[in-house]
Amino acid sequence: MKKPNDVILQTVTTVISFIIILFSINLFFAGHYTPGGGFIGGLMTAAALVLLLLAYDVKTLNKVLPFNYQVMTAAGLLIAVLTSAGALLFNEPFLTHAYDYFDLPLLGKTSLHTAVLFDTGVYLVVIGITMTIIQTIGESE
Amino acid sequence: MAFQVLLNFFLAFLWMFLTSSFTLSSFIIGYFLGILVILAMRRFFKDRVYLIRVWAVIKLTILFVIELIKANIEVLVIVLRPKLDLKPGIFKYDTKLEREWEVTLLSLLITLTPGTLVVDVSDDNSTLYIHALNATDIKGTVESIKKGFEKAIMEVSR
Repeated sequence: MKKPNDVILQTVTTVISFIIILFSINLFFAGHYTPGGGFIGGLMTAAALVLLLLAYDVKTLNKVLPFNYQVMTAAGLLIAVLTSAGALLFNEPFLTHAYDYFDLPLLGKTSLHTAVLFDTGVYLVVIGITMTIIQTIGESE
Repeated sequence: MAFQVLLNFFLAFLWMFLTSSFTLSSFIIGYFLGILVILAMRRFFKDRVYLIRVWAVIKLTILFVIELIKANIEVLVIVLRPKLDLKPGIFKYDTKLEREWEVTLLSLLITLTPGTLVVDVSDDNSTLYIHALNATDIKGTVESIKKGFEKAIMEVSR
């Protein structure tokens, strides 16, 4: 059977996926004061990747984004554990977070919170696990 | 390349709408995040990420400024020297550059740098006739142009 021409789907997907990823970054940073956070941000990024998978195929996506999603999951867990364990260095209980206010060049007065690092770990784990599940199912005949 | 810049601007504006803060700083943050996303997805584009070209332009500008300063010092030394022992001459330079703006840029850069001046360009834009203030070391001059300006321009336009 001749493969149908997916040019419209592929062109739209390439542009749309940028918008979805930017929105997921927005959700990721919004977590502290407004709805959002690492989990939903990671899920949204994974959704963008799944959309790319739908428009192209597993091989193309692996070529475009050559990530090993299992390593990504491990890195996320490592980041989360290290941020939690970092509190032990300051004689505080495990998982204690700290924050302070900084004057950053563009953002102005910003409170930087170590919970963001923990959230980064969550973000990576969610992307890694979702993509591992989908790719494992997708690759088996 | 133009498409990537346009996409980057679009993403920056999208970021302003998402965060609903319409300030310059949020535009710059959005632009920066857009660069990150484009870098991550760079293999989707047929041509290079446009930042490489921007970097090449910056490098060419720095090279030009350095050569300009060197050229003027060299001329100063020649003018102040009591005895003129110059051997002027005109030589041919075959360029690999093809597009009109590349050849123009190369000619202008050669003209503004140490002791050389573009006199004429052949009809097919492939040969430059260069007047050298001191034509004793033509091979070295050609080599320095080829390694310096021509390479830098090719990196911009490649």
